Amino acid sequence: MVGWLITGMDRAMAQSNPPFMSGVPELLLLRLLDQSEMYGYELVRSIRAATGEAISLGEGVIYPVLHALERNGLLNSRRKAVGGRTRVYYSLTGNGRKRLEELQTDWRRIQGGISNALETPSHA
Amino acid sequence: MPSIDLSELQNDLLRSGVAPRHVRRTVMELADHYEDLVERALARGAETDEAHEKACDDLGDLRDVAMAIRAQPELRSWAARFPYIALIVYPLACLVLLPAVPVIVGAAHAGYLARWVLCIFLSGLVTAAMILFLQLSIALS
Repeated sequence: MVGWLITGMDRAMAQSNPPFMSGVPELLLLRLLDQSEMYGYELVRSIRAATGEAISLGEGVIYPVLHALERNGLLNSRRKAVGGRTRVYYSLTGNGRKRLEELQTDWRRIQGGISNALETPSHA
Repeated sequence: MPSIDLSELQNDLLRSGVAPRHVRRTVMELADHYEDLVERALARGAETDEAHEKACDDLGDLRDVAMAIRAQPELRSWAARFPYIALIVYPLACLVLLPAVPVIVGAAHAGYLARWVLCIFLSGLVTAAMILFLQLSIALS
Protein backbone atom coordinates (compact mmCIF):
# COMPACT_ATOMS: atom_id res chain seq x y z
CA MET A 1 0.00 0.00 0.00
CA VAL A 2 2.78 2.43 1.01
CA GLY A 3 4.78 1.41 -2.05
CA TRP A 4 1.76 2.05 -4.23
CA LEU A 5 1.27 5.48 -2.63
CA ILE A 6 4.92 6.42 -3.18
CA THR A 7 4.80 5.27 -6.78
CA GLY A 8 1.63 7.25 -7.34
CA MET A 9 3.20 10.32 -5.73
CA ASP A 10 6.32 10.01 -7.89
CA ARG A 11 4.13 9.74 -10.96
CA ALA A 12 2.11 12.78 -9.93
CA MET A 13 5.29 14.77 -9.23
CA ALA A 14 6.76 13.68 -12.53
CA GLN A 15 3.63 14.86 -14.31
CA SER A 16 3.55 18.27 -12.61
CA ASN A 17 7.34 18.80 -12.61
CA PRO A 18 8.57 16.86 -15.62
CA PRO A 19 11.92 18.55 -16.11
CA PHE A 20 13.06 18.42 -12.48
CA MET A 21 16.44 16.69 -12.20
CA SER A 22 15.98 14.62 -15.33
CA GLY A 23 15.88 17.78 -17.44
CA VAL A 24 19.06 19.34 -16.07
CA PRO A 25 21.53 18.04 -18.69
CA GLU A 26 19.11 19.02 -21.44
CA LEU A 27 18.68 22.51 -19.97
CA LEU A 28 22.43 23.05 -19.59
CA LEU A 29 23.22 21.79 -23.08
CA LEU A 30 20.53 23.91 -24.72
CA ARG A 31 21.59 26.98 -22.73
CA LEU A 32 25.25 26.62 -23.73
CA LEU A 33 24.46 25.88 -27.35
CA ASP A 34 22.22 28.95 -27.47
CA GLN A 35 25.41 31.01 -27.09
CA SER A 36 27.54 29.31 -29.74
CA GLU A 37 27.97 26.03 -31.56
CA MET A 38 30.22 23.53 -29.79
CA TYR A 39 31.44 19.96 -29.95
CA GLY A 40 31.13 17.38 -27.17
CA TYR A 41 34.43 17.92 -25.36
CA GLU A 42 33.96 21.68 -25.51
CA LEU A 43 30.44 21.33 -24.09
CA VAL A 44 31.62 19.25 -21.15
CA ARG A 45 34.33 21.80 -20.34
CA SER A 46 31.74 24.59 -20.61
CA ILE A 47 29.31 22.78 -18.31
CA ARG A 48 32.04 22.38 -15.72
CA ALA A 49 33.04 26.02 -16.03
CA ALA A 50 29.48 27.35 -16.06
CA THR A 51 28.41 25.35 -13.02
CA GLY A 52 31.62 25.94 -11.08
CA GLU A 53 32.38 22.18 -11.27
CA ALA A 54 29.17 21.60 -9.27
CA ILE A 55 27.93 19.20 -11.92
CA SER A 56 30.40 16.52 -12.88
CA LEU A 57 29.40 13.57 -14.98
CA GLY A 58 31.04 10.72 -16.85
CA GLU A 59 31.84 12.76 -19.92
CA GLY A 60 30.90 10.05 -22.41
CA VAL A 61 27.21 10.14 -21.45
CA ILE A 62 26.83 13.55 -23.05
CA TYR A 63 26.70 12.00 -26.53
CA PRO A 64 23.49 9.97 -26.13
CA VAL A 65 21.81 13.13 -24.82
CA LEU A 66 23.09 15.19 -27.76
CA HIS A 67 22.02 12.55 -30.29
CA ALA A 68 18.53 12.30 -28.78
CA LEU A 69 18.14 16.10 -28.79
CA GLU A 70 19.20 16.19 -32.41
CA ARG A 71 16.85 13.35 -33.28
CA ASN A 72 14.01 15.30 -31.61
CA GLY A 73 14.76 18.33 -33.78
CA LEU A 74 16.16 20.52 -31.01
CA LEU A 75 19.75 20.50 -32.28
CA ASN A 76 21.52 20.57 -35.62
CA SER A 77 24.91 18.99 -36.18
CA ARG A 78 27.60 19.44 -38.77
CA ARG A 79 30.97 17.79 -39.24
CA LYS A 80 33.99 20.01 -39.35
CA ALA A 81 37.63 19.07 -39.96
CA VAL A 82 39.84 20.64 -37.31
CA GLY A 83 43.56 19.88 -37.08
CA GLY A 84 43.27 16.64 -39.05
CA ARG A 85 40.34 15.42 -36.96
CA THR A 86 36.65 15.46 -37.79
CA ARG A 87 34.52 16.95 -35.07
CA VAL A 88 30.74 17.10 -34.81
CA TYR A 89 29.58 20.60 -33.91
CA TYR A 90 26.10 21.08 -32.45
CA SER A 91 23.90 24.16 -32.64
CA LEU A 92 20.39 25.06 -31.52
CA THR A 93 17.37 24.95 -33.85
CA GLY A 94 14.25 27.10 -33.60
CA ASN A 95 12.47 24.29 -31.75
CA GLY A 96 15.50 24.02 -29.47
CA ARG A 97 15.16 27.70 -28.53
CA LYS A 98 11.46 27.20 -27.71
CA ARG A 99 12.30 24.14 -25.63
CA LEU A 100 15.03 26.11 -23.83
CA GLU A 101 12.53 28.82 -22.92
CA GLU A 102 10.10 26.19 -21.57
CA LEU A 103 12.81 24.48 -19.54
CA GLN A 104 14.10 27.77 -18.14
CA THR A 105 10.58 28.78 -17.07
CA ASP A 106 9.98 25.41 -15.41
CA TRP A 107 13.39 25.44 -13.74
CA ARG A 108 12.89 28.96 -12.33
CA ARG A 109 9.46 27.95 -11.01
CA ILE A 110 10.92 24.90 -9.26
CA GLN A 111 13.95 26.85 -8.03
CA GLY A 112 11.63 29.55 -6.63
CA GLY A 113 9.50 26.95 -4.90
CA ILE A 114 12.48 25.26 -3.30
CA SER A 115 13.98 28.60 -2.23
CA ASN A 116 10.67 29.53 -0.59
CA ALA A 117 10.56 26.19 1.19
CA LEU A 118 14.14 26.61 2.44
CA GLU A 119 13.57 30.17 3.61
CA THR A 120 10.31 29.39 5.44
CA PRO A 121 11.07 28.70 9.10
CA SER A 122 10.36 25.08 9.97
CA HIS A 123 7.86 24.36 12.73
CA ALA A 124 8.61 21.71 15.32
CA MET B 1 51.00 3.33 -26.17
CA PRO B 2 47.84 2.44 -24.25
CA SER B 3 44.59 3.54 -25.82
CA ILE B 4 40.87 3.13 -25.34
CA ASP B 5 39.12 0.11 -26.82
CA LEU B 6 35.67 1.04 -28.07
CA SER B 7 35.04 -2.16 -30.01
CA GLU B 8 33.23 -3.81 -27.11
CA LEU B 9 30.90 -0.81 -26.77
CA GLN B 10 30.35 -0.82 -30.53
CA ASN B 11 29.44 -4.52 -30.62
CA ASP B 12 27.27 -4.23 -27.54
CA LEU B 13 25.27 -1.35 -29.07
CA LEU B 14 24.87 -3.07 -32.42
CA ARG B 15 23.66 -6.26 -30.71
CA SER B 16 21.18 -4.16 -28.71
CA GLY B 17 19.58 -2.87 -31.90
CA VAL B 18 20.98 0.68 -31.90
CA ALA B 19 21.06 2.10 -35.43
CA PRO B 20 24.54 1.51 -36.95
CA ARG B 21 24.93 5.17 -37.95
CA HIS B 22 24.40 6.25 -34.32
CA VAL B 23 26.88 3.61 -33.15
CA ARG B 24 29.52 4.75 -35.66
CA ARG B 25 29.03 8.37 -34.72
CA THR B 26 29.09 7.72 -30.98
CA VAL B 27 32.30 5.71 -31.28
CA MET B 28 33.87 8.41 -33.45
CA GLU B 29 32.90 11.17 -31.01
CA LEU B 30 34.04 9.19 -27.97
CA ALA B 31 37.41 8.45 -29.59
CA ASP B 32 37.82 12.13 -30.42
CA HIS B 33 36.80 13.13 -26.90
CA TYR B 34 39.30 10.65 -25.49
CA GLU B 35 42.09 12.14 -27.62
CA ASP B 36 41.19 15.61 -26.33
CA LEU B 37 41.32 14.36 -22.74
CA VAL B 38 44.72 12.73 -23.31
CA GLU B 39 46.09 15.91 -24.91
CA ARG B 40 44.80 17.94 -21.99
CA ALA B 41 46.38 15.64 -19.42
CA LEU B 42 49.69 15.64 -21.33
CA ALA B 43 49.60 19.43 -21.54
CA ARG B 44 49.22 19.51 -17.76
CA GLY B 45 52.42 17.53 -17.41
CA ALA B 46 51.13 13.98 -16.99
CA GLU B 47 53.17 11.00 -18.23
CA THR B 48 51.72 9.13 -21.23
CA ASP B 49 50.31 6.19 -19.24
CA GLU B 50 48.97 8.50 -16.57
CA ALA B 51 47.32 10.71 -19.23
CA HIS B 52 45.53 7.73 -20.77
CA GLU B 53 44.41 6.50 -17.37
CA LYS B 54 43.07 9.96 -16.48
CA ALA B 55 41.30 10.20 -19.85
CA CYS B 56 39.59 6.84 -19.27
CA ASP B 57 38.46 8.00 -15.81
CA ASP B 58 37.12 11.31 -17.13
CA LEU B 59 35.29 9.69 -20.03
CA GLY B 60 33.47 7.52 -17.51
CA ASP B 61 32.30 3.94 -17.54
CA LEU B 62 31.46 2.91 -21.09
CA ARG B 63 28.71 0.66 -19.72
CA ASP B 64 26.94 3.84 -18.54
CA VAL B 65 27.26 5.26 -22.04
CA ALA B 66 25.82 2.06 -23.51
CA MET B 67 22.98 2.12 -20.97
CA ALA B 68 22.19 5.76 -21.76
CA ILE B 69 22.09 5.01 -25.49
CA ARG B 70 19.95 1.90 -25.05
CA ALA B 71 17.51 3.97 -22.96
CA GLN B 72 16.82 6.23 -25.97
CA PRO B 73 14.31 4.42 -28.18
CA GLU B 74 14.71 7.02 -30.90
CA LEU B 75 18.35 5.94 -31.40
CA ARG B 76 17.39 2.36 -32.23
CA SER B 77 17.23 1.05 -35.78
CA TRP B 78 13.79 0.65 -37.34
CA ALA B 79 14.26 -3.13 -37.40
CA ALA B 80 14.81 -3.13 -33.63
CA ARG B 81 11.85 -0.82 -33.04
CA PHE B 82 9.47 -2.76 -35.28
CA PRO B 83 10.76 -6.37 -35.25
CA TYR B 84 7.50 -7.88 -36.54
CA ILE B 85 7.58 -5.61 -39.57
CA ALA B 86 11.27 -6.31 -40.18
CA LEU B 87 11.04 -10.08 -39.74
CA ILE B 88 7.60 -10.88 -41.16
CA VAL B 89 5.94 -8.09 -43.13
CA TYR B 90 9.06 -6.85 -44.95
CA PRO B 91 10.22 -10.28 -46.25
CA LEU B 92 6.66 -11.19 -47.25
CA ALA B 93 6.24 -7.91 -49.08
CA CYS B 94 9.54 -8.53 -50.87
CA LEU B 95 8.40 -12.02 -51.89
CA VAL B 96 5.14 -10.66 -53.27
CA LEU B 97 6.77 -7.73 -55.05
CA LEU B 98 9.72 -9.65 -56.48
CA PRO B 99 7.82 -11.09 -59.53
CA ALA B 100 6.41 -7.65 -60.24
CA VAL B 101 9.81 -6.01 -60.40
CA PRO B 102 10.56 -6.87 -64.09
CA VAL B 103 7.11 -5.62 -65.11
CA ILE B 104 7.50 -2.39 -63.14
CA VAL B 105 11.02 -1.81 -64.46
CA GLY B 106 9.86 -2.62 -68.00
CA ALA B 107 6.98 -0.15 -67.74
CA ALA B 108 9.30 2.51 -66.33
CA HIS B 109 11.72 2.04 -69.26
CA ALA B 110 9.16 1.27 -71.97
CA GLY B 111 10.94 3.44 -74.56
CA TYR B 112 14.30 1.70 -74.16
CA LEU B 113 12.57 -1.69 -74.10
CA ALA B 114 10.67 -0.99 -77.33
CA ARG B 115 13.88 0.13 -79.09
CA TRP B 116 15.69 -2.94 -77.79
CA VAL B 117 12.93 -5.27 -79.04
CA LEU B 118 12.93 -3.49 -82.42
CA CYS B 119 16.71 -3.89 -82.71
CA ILE B 120 16.48 -7.60 -81.86
CA PHE B 121 13.68 -7.99 -84.43
CA LEU B 122 15.64 -6.15 -87.13
CA SER B 123 18.83 -8.10 -86.45
CA GLY B 124 16.80 -11.34 -86.62
CA LEU B 125 15.31 -10.19 -89.92
CA VAL B 126 18.75 -9.41 -91.37
CA THR B 127 20.12 -12.78 -90.21
CA ALA B 128 17.10 -14.61 -91.71
CA ALA B 129 17.53 -12.72 -94.99
CA MET B 130 21.22 -13.67 -95.12
CA ILE B 131 20.45 -17.34 -94.42
CA LEU B 132 17.71 -17.29 -97.06
CA PHE B 133 20.10 -15.70 -99.54
CA LEU B 134 22.71 -18.39 -98.81
CA GLN B 135 20.14 -21.18 -99.10
CA LEU B 136 18.89 -19.80 -102.41
CA SER B 137 22.47 -19.40 -103.65
CA ILE B 138 23.19 -23.05 -102.80
CA ALA B 139 19.89 -24.28 -104.27
CA LEU B 140 20.22 -22.34 -107.52
CA SER B 141 23.93 -22.98 -108.08
